[in-house]
Amino acid sequence: MPDIIHTPLWQLPLLILMPLGCIAAVVIYLRRLAHRKQIPRGEDPDWSVPSLGDDTDATLLHRWDVRAKIVTLLVYSFAVASLEHLTPSLFAIILSLAAMAIARVSVARVLLRLLALSGFLGMLLVVLPFTVPMHSGDTVLLFGEIQWLSFNVRGLLLAVTIAAKAVAIALLMEPLLGTAPLPVTLNGLARLGLPEMAGQMVLLSYRYVHVFLHEARRMAGGMRARGFRKRTDLHTLQTIAGFLGMLFVRSFERTERVYDAMRARGYTGRFPEQGEFRLQGRDMLLASAWILAGGALIAYDRIIL
Amino acid sequence: MHISDGVLPTYVTVGGYVISATLVAWSARKTRSQDLPKLAVVTAAFFVASLIHIPLGPTSAHLLIPGLTGALLGPPAFLSIGLGLLLQSLLFQFGGLTALGANTLMMGLPAVICGWIFQRFKGQKRMRQVIVGGLVGALGTAMAALFLASLLVTGGEDFLGVAKIALLAHIPVIIIEGTVSAFTIGFLARVKPDLLRAAFMPASKGTNA
Repeated sequence: MPDIIHTPLWQLPLLILMPLGCIAAVVIYLRRLAHRKQIPRGEDPDWSVPSLGDDTDATLLHRWDVRAKIVTLLVYSFAVASLEHLTPSLFAIILSLAAMAIARVSVARVLLRLLALSGFLGMLLVVLPFTVPMHSGDTVLLFGEIQWLSFNVRGLLLAVTIAAKAVAIALLMEPLLGTAPLPVTLNGLARLGLPEMAGQMVLLSYRYVHVFLHEARRMAGGMRARGFRKRTDLHTLQTIAGFLGMLFVRSFERTERVYDAMRARGYTGRFPEQGEFRLQGRDMLLASAWILAGGALIAYDRIIL
Repeated sequence: MHISDGVLPTYVTVGGYVISATLVAWSARKTRSQDLPKLAVVTAAFFVASLIHIPLGPTSAHLLIPGLTGALLGPPAFLSIGLGLLLQSLLFQFGGLTALGANTLMMGLPAVICGWIFQRFKGQKRMRQVIVGGLVGALGTAMAALFLASLLVTGGEDFLGVAKIALLAHIPVIIIEGTVSAFTIGFLARVKPDLLRAAFMPASKGTNA
């Protein structure tokens, strides 16, 4: 039988509002911080433009061979994602924070990533405690006379564990991927067996995401100038559909011009490689140490706990 | 809605990667190789379109448009969606790195199915294209929501409640997506009817569909 704790009804809204409030506070705080770090909202960092400062050798992680880096990130992420307990997940966050400190990454970018996560994780944090089925040994809060609603502490623990794992992996993305320009990372992926075409498609669409974002903003500005305001009604949907249609027509028309321009500049199906890859002993050493850390977390998770 | 890291069991995330990779290869073979750079540019447009928020009472929903992507691209849509999600995951953290395969499956399969249905039943009349487009838009989102729910359920009975709530939360989105898709198809039928023939397909397949 689960341990049942009876609580007065008035605590129910408290238990729903508290996680919601916490999430809202964190989101507002992150927005503020991101704002103070001078990244305007909606203006995502553009990795396709190489940074001007010559920071390629800045830190240990910048010097790390990009192939070893990618393999490490993938293996380690899967290891972290398969953890089942909270404590090793918290250790994983500490490791990610250490990597962030070593790589000296831009805090604003990391904050944007955490913001993107907050919706899904917030949903889990609010929903899971109330929907997880009861097992013997669970601690369950019941509210007054209501029978159909109960707050299961095991569900909250599950949600917090998931959130910790997701945050741990999200924090790693910036130190591992942000320490090399995107073309170099994609080149590394191609060396690891990804078809070359796929990497070039990523690069090309990434470039055009920014072009179309710019275009969409211009079109939206025009609509606002003509007095359009978004509401929950059919007219809004119709206008947005026209907006989408126009975006698609323009993009399809642009593809021909882009492709012609690329071929006119001698594009034969591949971009020139940027930089060389040299796999050295220390690259392998760092990769194996990192993967070993992931293995240790799993061992701690499965054997000791 | 994208699934984040740490939710799905490992066999589902790995299986999702394997199946998605197979389907991406199939989708790439269905695309003329000289069209791949063009597909990349169109993918960017869909990516931006999926960032548009539509007010929904006090909250707002962002478009998913798997149905519309499938209707406009046909089988290459799977490649396009995989590409888009990879970008979202790597660069903006929407959807986890380990869940990328599962997320691609969840959005890509409905798109391809919807594309097939649209090409099969769209007919010649504009009104009919609008109606089929709307149905396909709604169906695409509905299927994506079902996929999301069933993926969540693989996490065990603990996730049954979340899956149900996720499914319910998608109902208003399904209606919005259907309406927007219908209007968008209507707009394209008027402005550039060529686009409604699935682009980027090998010529023999593209014309008779």
